[in-house]
This record gives sequence, C-alpha cells and structure tokens, in this order.
Amino acid sequence: MAYSFDIYLIQALHGIVYGMLLFLVAAGLTLVFGMMGVLNFAHAGFYMLGAYFGYSVVAWSGNFWLSLIVAPIGVGICGGFVERFLLRKVHTFGHAYELLLTFGVFLATGEIVKWFWGNAPLSVQIPPSLSGSLSILGATYPYYRLFILACGVAVLILLALFILKTRIGITVRAAVSDAGMVGALGTNVPVVFLGVYAVGSALAALGGVIAGPFLSTYPGMGLDILTDVFVVIVVGGFGSVFGAVVASLMIGVLQSYGILLLPKFALVFEYVLMAIILIVRPNGLFGEKE
Amino acid sequence: MKPLLTKGAVALVLLALIALAPRCVPVTHVNMLSEIAFFSLFALSFNMLFGYCGLLSFGHSAYFGIGAYTLVLILKHFTGMPLLLALFVGGIAGGLGGLLVGFFCVRLKGGYFALLTMAFNQFFFAIALKWRSLTGGDDGMSLSRPDLHLPGLGVFSMGRPANVYYLIVAIVLLCVFLQWRLIKTPYGNAVRAVKENDERAGFVGYNVYLTRLSLYAFSAFFAGIAGSLFALFEGFIATSVIDAQMSMQVTFMAFIGGVNSFFGPILGAGVYLYFTDWVSRVTDRWEFVLGVLFILLVMYAHTGLIGFVSLDKIKYFLRIKAGIKGTDK
Repeated sequence: MAYSFDIYLIQALHGIVYGMLLFLVAAGLTLVFGMMGVLNFAHAGFYMLGAYFGYSVVAWSGNFWLSLIVAPIGVGICGGFVERFLLRKVHTFGHAYELLLTFGVFLATGEIVKWFWGNAPLSVQIPPSLSGSLSILGATYPYYRLFILACGVAVLILLALFILKTRIGITVRAAVSDAGMVGALGTNVPVVFLGVYAVGSALAALGGVIAGPFLSTYPGMGLDILTDVFVVIVVGGFGSVFGAVVASLMIGVLQSYGILLLPKFALVFEYVLMAIILIVRPNGLFGEKE
Repeated sequence: MKPLLTKGAVALVLLALIALAPRCVPVTHVNMLSEIAFFSLFALSFNMLFGYCGLLSFGHSAYFGIGAYTLVLILKHFTGMPLLLALFVGGIAGGLGGLLVGFFCVRLKGGYFALLTMAFNQFFFAIALKWRSLTGGDDGMSLSRPDLHLPGLGVFSMGRPANVYYLIVAIVLLCVFLQWRLIKTPYGNAVRAVKENDERAGFVGYNVYLTRLSLYAFSAFFAGIAGSLFALFEGFIATSVIDAQMSMQVTFMAFIGGVNSFFGPILGAGVYLYFTDWVSRVTDRWEFVLGVLFILLVMYAHTGLIGFVSLDKIKYFLRIKAGIKGTDK
C-alpha cells in the first residue's frame, strides 16, 4: 500500500465531499425522526425526486442554478402534502404504521419516477462555470466536488444559525425533545411538524440535485443512499443534527479510505463502525433520547 | 365442547384440502401453493415479533437469506447430508444470525429498532453481494435438489412438484404448530406483557432484554427455515433472497393479512402472491399499484384483511340477521 501522502489527502477530501452530500440528506431525516419518531422512508424518494426535477429543469431551461432553487421548492411542497394528507392521518395508529406509510410513498415515488423519466440513468450536464478543475497538492481536483463541499458547508451554517439562533429553531429543538410538552405550552405542533417535514424534504431534494451530475440520476439512487444515511443517523444519534454532521463526515471518509485500501470490504466498514458505536454508545454519538 | 368440535372439523377439512390439492389443481397452482406455504411461515415469523412483541423487524430477509444460503452451501459442500437435517441447519443458522443482530437491536424499540434491523439487513446483503467466492455474488448459485430419504417410507424425488409441495407443507405446518404452541406458553404471555408495557413488565420481574432477544432468535429461526424451503423450491438463489425488497415483501404480507391475529399473515401471504401475480400480468407498474395500495391499507384498513373476515364478525352478523339479542362476551 505504497501510496504517496498526497493521495491520502485527496482521498480524505473525496470522503468529506461525499460526507457533505450525506449530511444534506441526513439532516432532514434526523430532524423528522427526532420530532415525530417516524423513520421516514419517503425521504429517499424525495431525494430521488429532487434529482429528477433538477434534471428536467436543466433540460428545460438549460440553467443549473435555477434547478438548485426550483427542485427543492417543488419537492418541499410535495413533502408538505405527504405530511398533511397522509402521514398526519395515521399518526394515532403508532410509529410502525407511519413508517409503513412512508415506505408506501417511497415505493410509489420510485415507480412514478420510472414512469415519467424512464429506467435508464440520466446524466445532468455540469454547468461550464463548475466543470473545470483546480490543481492542489500536485493533483487536479474537479471544481464540482468543491462546489458540493461548499454547498454542504453553506447549508450546515444556515441550518445551525436557524436552529440555534431563531425562535422557530428553538421551538423545533424543544419539539424534538418533547413534542407533547411543547404543544401543551401553546405551540401549534402539527404546523411545526409540517414545516420541518417540508424543509427536510427540500434539503433532501437539494442533495438530489447536487448528486445528479456527481453520481448520475437513476431510479435506484434513493435506495442506494438510504442505507448510508441510515447508518449516519444511527451513528450520529437519533434526532441530533450535529451528530449527523460528524457521522456523515466519518462515514464519507471511512468509505473513501475503504475503497482505497481494502476495496473488497469497503461496503462492510460502515456497518462495523455502526456496531462498535452501538456497543459503546447505544444511542449514537450525540443522541440523548432513548 | 361444541366450539372445539367445530374447530376440529374446520381443521380436518383444511388438512384434507391441503392434502388433496396437488391432485385437483394444475402444476402451476401447486407451485403457487408451495410458495404461499413458505412465505406464510416467513410472514408468521415476522409477525411473532411485530404482532406479539411490538418489534417491527424491517430487515427480516436477513434470516430468510441466511437460511437459503446455508441450505444451498450445505447441499453443495456436504453432499451426503440428509435433506431434512440441512433444512433444520438452515433454520439454526438463521436463528444464530438473529441472536447476533438481536444482541445489538433489542435494547431499542419502535422506529429505532426498525432502523437498526434494516441496517443489519444491508450488512448481510453486502456480504452476500461481495463475498463472491462463497455466495456467487449477484450471479447467484443453483442447487440440485437431492432426494428425500424417509426411513421406512422410501425415497421421494424432489423433481416432482407434488413431492416438493408435500415436503414444504408438512414442514410449514409443523413450524406453524410450534409457533402456535410457543405463544400459548407462559413465555408467550411474557412476550405480550413486554409488548403492552415493557417498563411495567420489567418491574413485575420479567427480563425484558432476554425475552425480546430470545423471541428475536426464535423468529429468525423460523425465517431461516422459510428461507431454506424457498431455496429448495426455487433451486436457485441470488442476492434477491436477502435484499431490502424481500424484507418489504414480508412486511406487506403480514400487514395485508392483519398483524393482530395469529393467522392473518397466512391470509396475507396468499393474497399478496396471487395479487402480485395477477397485477404483474396486467401492468408493468405493479410496484406503483402496490405502493398506493399499501398507503390505502395503512390509512383505511390497518387491521388487515382478516379484520374483515374474522369469525367473530361473521357470528355477530349472523346473530343480527337471526334477530338474537345480546352478546356472550
């Protein structure tokens, strides 16, 4: 394994880039999970839907930047509808039924996508302003990956400011820790749920749009990222956004080094990490609730 | 005594129907019935956890797959091994897998538990996919069915669908009976106590952790048997036996049938298999139909189909028709 030091650094950067993508998808999921206790399978569907919306917007307008705005908004509205008209109705039956409902939504989304866009993978053109590459450490590094990194960091900062500094953010945090009590104190909790669900879906869609040119857009993409994201949530701790950041980066870097050093076992590493974390801290790195 | 007699009569008629089925229906239907049989067992094993202990195992195909792979590998590498023993070992392997995963998972419940079981499912899937030299990866492995030697009864060729059917049905019936007995024991009561309120059950003196863990292992054992029957029936397995889709299928079956009743999943397995068979012939978009149907099912009929056909409801209905007042609750 005689790789030069540069390769390790580049590989770390690859890992961080993928980790940031994971974070975009995991952030919404972990918030919804913390608040509603719902393991939201539909989230992966929204991620995929975002990628396809993005593809269509680019194909229609030729403008990648427009798709970054339009697709998340469109998917956010879809998410809002799902929460309001489907999920809320089965809330009283318990978590298991909510989970199954979102799974039905996920399945239906996958087929809708195939229906409208076909089975073949689609490739989204990287806009000219992002298609070059930068030379660092004697190697060239594509701008687009750096753009993913920048997007991830921007979302992270905005989300952190929103959750830590605004009044709505405080309400959301309170609802994650005890939704019933927040409701008793006079907050309209269902509206908070709706908002978080919609914003979470929009974030997943943003992840999808960004992932489109990077990982290509295909009908199985939702399921493919879902397992990584689930591991992120388990490792980071249920409902913790900060945990999601740390775990995303850990999983990203671990996978990237796994592929470099032991390609055959790369898929298994993250589960080993998950098992270790679960033994040491059953609620994840930053999880507080049971 | 009378209800017992009725139940006995119903059971006898059912058994007779099951026994006579291969003589009365075409081969494709015999194969369908075999499929229904082992998927019923799989769905029942899933529902042991969800229906009786409230644990939603969303990665149950892990044990189904372990059972299937174990059977194929045993028959491939230990050629002299009797078929029944190989099937049993498949179940044991599934159970051990369940014990291992359960060690991590059963401390949690609800969505957390579902998430973890699903992640471990993916772990086993990754192994099946990547360890090509053992499992054949996504090319899969084929299996030549050995003959069944029953001492005193002779040799039965597994090339005949009817023989496969009888073997599968016999094993499934035995397993269903075992499951039925298991939930009627004091242990079954402990399981239900843990479902109702695990904290209280703990204070009363039940060991919540061990109860859940052992139930998880039992369930994985039966799922393993179902998986090895699947491998025997298909004669070929690939990673599709252990993927998320398979876990989803069993969940569908259990919920379509009804998770609040012991026999619901059997009904669900039958309806699901016939329904998907029919829909996939009518339209290519059967997954969409299934997804929408599932949403509707969860929203409007979350007791499952058995909720519509339960004996009590029929009796109640007949009573009203006959104008009899009062209930014998």
